[in-house]
Amino acid sequence: MDSMKNTFLTSYGKRLVLVADDEPVNREILSSVLKDRYDVLFAEDGRKALELIEEHRNVLSLVLLDILMPELSGKEVLSALRSDARYRYLPVIVLTSDEDSEVECLNLGASDFITKPYPKADIILARIQRIIELSEDRRIISSTERDQITGLYTRDYFYRYAEDFDVHHRDVEMDAIIVDISHFRMINERFGSRYGDQLLGRVGRRLREVIDEGRGIVCRREADVFLIYCEHGMDYAHILEYASQAGEGDEKECRIRLRMGVYARVDKKLDLPRRFDRAQIAAESLRSSVTNVIGMYDDAMHEKELFETQLVEEFDQAVREEQFAVYFQPKFDIRTSVPVLSSAEALVRWIHPELGLIPPFRFIPLFEETGLIQTLDHYIWTHTARKIREWKDRLGFCVPVSVNVSRIDMYDPHFVDTILEIVKENGLEPAELLLEITESAYTEDSGQIIEVVNQLRNLGFRIEMDDFGTGYSSLNMISELPIDALKLDMQFIRNAFGEHRDTWMLEVIIDIASYMHVPTIAEGVETEEQMLSLRELGCDIVQGYYFSKPVPAEEFEPFLIERKQQLESSADQERIPFDSKLKIVQATEKKKARNELKEQHRRLLDSYYDPQTGLYNETVFELLLENTDLAHVAVLAMEIDGLDEIRQKQGEEGVREAVNTVADALRKNFRSVDSVCRMGDHTFAVIMTRADSSLKQVVIHKVRYVNCLLKHPEEGKAPLTLSTGAAFGDGGKEAESLFPDACAALKRAREKGGSRCEIL
Amino acid sequence: MTIEDLKEYGANVQEGIDRCAGMPDFYLRLAERVKQEKGFEKLESAIKEKRLKDGFEAAHALKGVLGNLALTPMYEPIREITELLRVETDTDYMPLLNEILEQKRKFDLL
Repeated sequence: MDSMKNTFLTSYGKRLVLVADDEPVNREILSSVLKDRYDVLFAEDGRKALELIEEHRNVLSLVLLDILMPELSGKEVLSALRSDARYRYLPVIVLTSDEDSEVECLNLGASDFITKPYPKADIILARIQRIIELSEDRRIISSTERDQITGLYTRDYFYRYAEDFDVHHRDVEMDAIIVDISHFRMINERFGSRYGDQLLGRVGRRLREVIDEGRGIVCRREADVFLIYCEHGMDYAHILEYASQAGEGDEKECRIRLRMGVYARVDKKLDLPRRFDRAQIAAESLRSSVTNVIGMYDDAMHEKELFETQLVEEFDQAVREEQFAVYFQPKFDIRTSVPVLSSAEALVRWIHPELGLIPPFRFIPLFEETGLIQTLDHYIWTHTARKIREWKDRLGFCVPVSVNVSRIDMYDPHFVDTILEIVKENGLEPAELLLEITESAYTEDSGQIIEVVNQLRNLGFRIEMDDFGTGYSSLNMISELPIDALKLDMQFIRNAFGEHRDTWMLEVIIDIASYMHVPTIAEGVETEEQMLSLRELGCDIVQGYYFSKPVPAEEFEPFLIERKQQLESSADQERIPFDSKLKIVQATEKKKARNELKEQHRRLLDSYYDPQTGLYNETVFELLLENTDLAHVAVLAMEIDGLDEIRQKQGEEGVREAVNTVADALRKNFRSVDSVCRMGDHTFAVIMTRADSSLKQVVIHKVRYVNCLLKHPEEGKAPLTLSTGAAFGDGGKEAESLFPDACAALKRAREKGGSRCEIL
Repeated sequence: MTIEDLKEYGANVQEGIDRCAGMPDFYLRLAERVKQEKGFEKLESAIKEKRLKDGFEAAHALKGVLGNLALTPMYEPIREITELLRVETDTDYMPLLNEILEQKRKFDLL
């Protein structure tokens, strides 16, 4: 095997070797030994040796280095090489006649030594070849062993070395730690991926510095995620603080926030990835916390993990044994004086033989994460369709029933065929199986989802947009969405009828639905008062405990029977002779009233928006601010710089275009949770939620970024800049004073020459 | 200077030739260069002027060359003086130096 390898190695060209020795005789002897097998360079002193190494660093295979040389000694050359990462893998064989120096040189990083007087030529050649081979093997290994960006171990090697560490430290208690950078994607987007990579490199270096080599190892798992496997007892806060300083002192002044998940005193019976899964769980527990940056894996997480593992393991059996039961919750049309059953929603419950009834919130997110949801969805669709068929056959009647479609289903190329087949198999019309698709699915990949939804609607399916109001859809996008109903997120109902009764947001959303000419469905309605208020606000359909909790199929049947009877009795009434003229008049009146209502909604919507830019207007700004938590809000006042000049050069059309350009830039570049408003001719305001004065730098960067985009517009457009003033609400300020304060800061920004952000 | 001369002088000729890739001519050429070697003068002046560090460097360099060429009569005293100079032993270096210079003189006559 070795001979094969040697043949292969020598067959692809001579390696280049540098001989550094100040004695010509020694150089010549080595030359005579090496020249047939190697290309040889010579240096007569240390300085020259370093120059040649630098010059040939990409092709040099080995250095033969004398220790005592003029200019720079061999030891100094060796030290220089070992402190420069570029030469990490360049092997050096020391030429020496002193036994004492041998050990010292090996400690300094020499790969081997050759004594003087030189041994026989074949011994020298064999040693050189062995060292070159070892070094090349090492280089190959290390290209997969080390992450190119940080120089840390790659994940596979990290796990291997961590296992080795365990083998030799059986009784040492270890911690598995995961560290990531909050919002790293934003850093990449703001400063570019090159800067992002540099930052990762610095964080990696700092983690390596702070984790004592002998007591732990570090790797970059992927993107901005670092793993640390170290002896228990390290100061977590210190590690995090030290690594967090990686962004300081550079030209970007990028402040980073690291988060850490710790699984302390690991159970060594678990394999390493599982140990880091636990650290990950601990890190994820921080997601909802702004202040806490270190999450510890605890008993509660452990129990949850065990429980979830059990659920996943038993899923297949549960499907086989039909442990999942489909429950039905009725939806009532409340537009009439007596609400009538209009449809139902199919909801799953797991009737576990040992654990009893498991509510869906315990397993749905888990199955979404593990991909099992697709199988469960299919199960529910099939069972629901069969039930509808059965009711139709037995009762002679059924209402449409909605089923949930998970995001992952929408990416399944067979999804449309599958659902159509289920409907056909049961002899149903597509409109009898309503499909609920969550709003966030639309916003994440709207192109793909809209295409699938269009296909479904063309086949006759009707789509309800679920959890509306949580997915941050833009108004522009909503107006283009192919949907048949908007289903309000339960949170809106809770907020609207909660302690601080505030139905304003609800009104806006019902207006939006009206604007789109689709009915609104409110979930989570619990009281008559809520139902009546919703009816007053214009909501069409209501679902919730007020009418019925989700119930098993047999308990849902009475709702169907009652509705069937209502329909039959109204049909009887219709058979009674009537004055057809009167009916036409009534119908005309109804249509007129409906049109008037639509017109009212349109006017209401118009009163919210600035007609030129489509941004919110001043009235909405005030309403929004009144309803915002002032402790976490920043208000920005912005003006376009040099508007007079634009007006002089390009007239009113130029001003109009500038306003539109800025409106567009603001709309695109602020977050969906921020609200951009037009306050006057060329003044804009932004309400940034979830922002307090600790985020001043973020606000400044955001404004700088928008200015940068405006300064470098697409071809054919004139560059623009904005002056900005910002005020934060967390100093106990009144809502009314925030915008004037922001304007005062704006004035200061203008006085300083514009194109900047000042904070009051 | 011939191979025979060197043998007679006391050099381990075979060992030296082995180190020179088995080429006697090449060995002779390198051995001839020792006659012009400046290291001996450096060593002499350093010892006489008590510059022991410089003396060590000169001796160490000579040791490598003479060892490689297996010029044993010079190599042995050089090796000895190198070790003494390495730790700057407080001793009279003149006897060893004279021995080295005497061997060099004999070598130069070959």
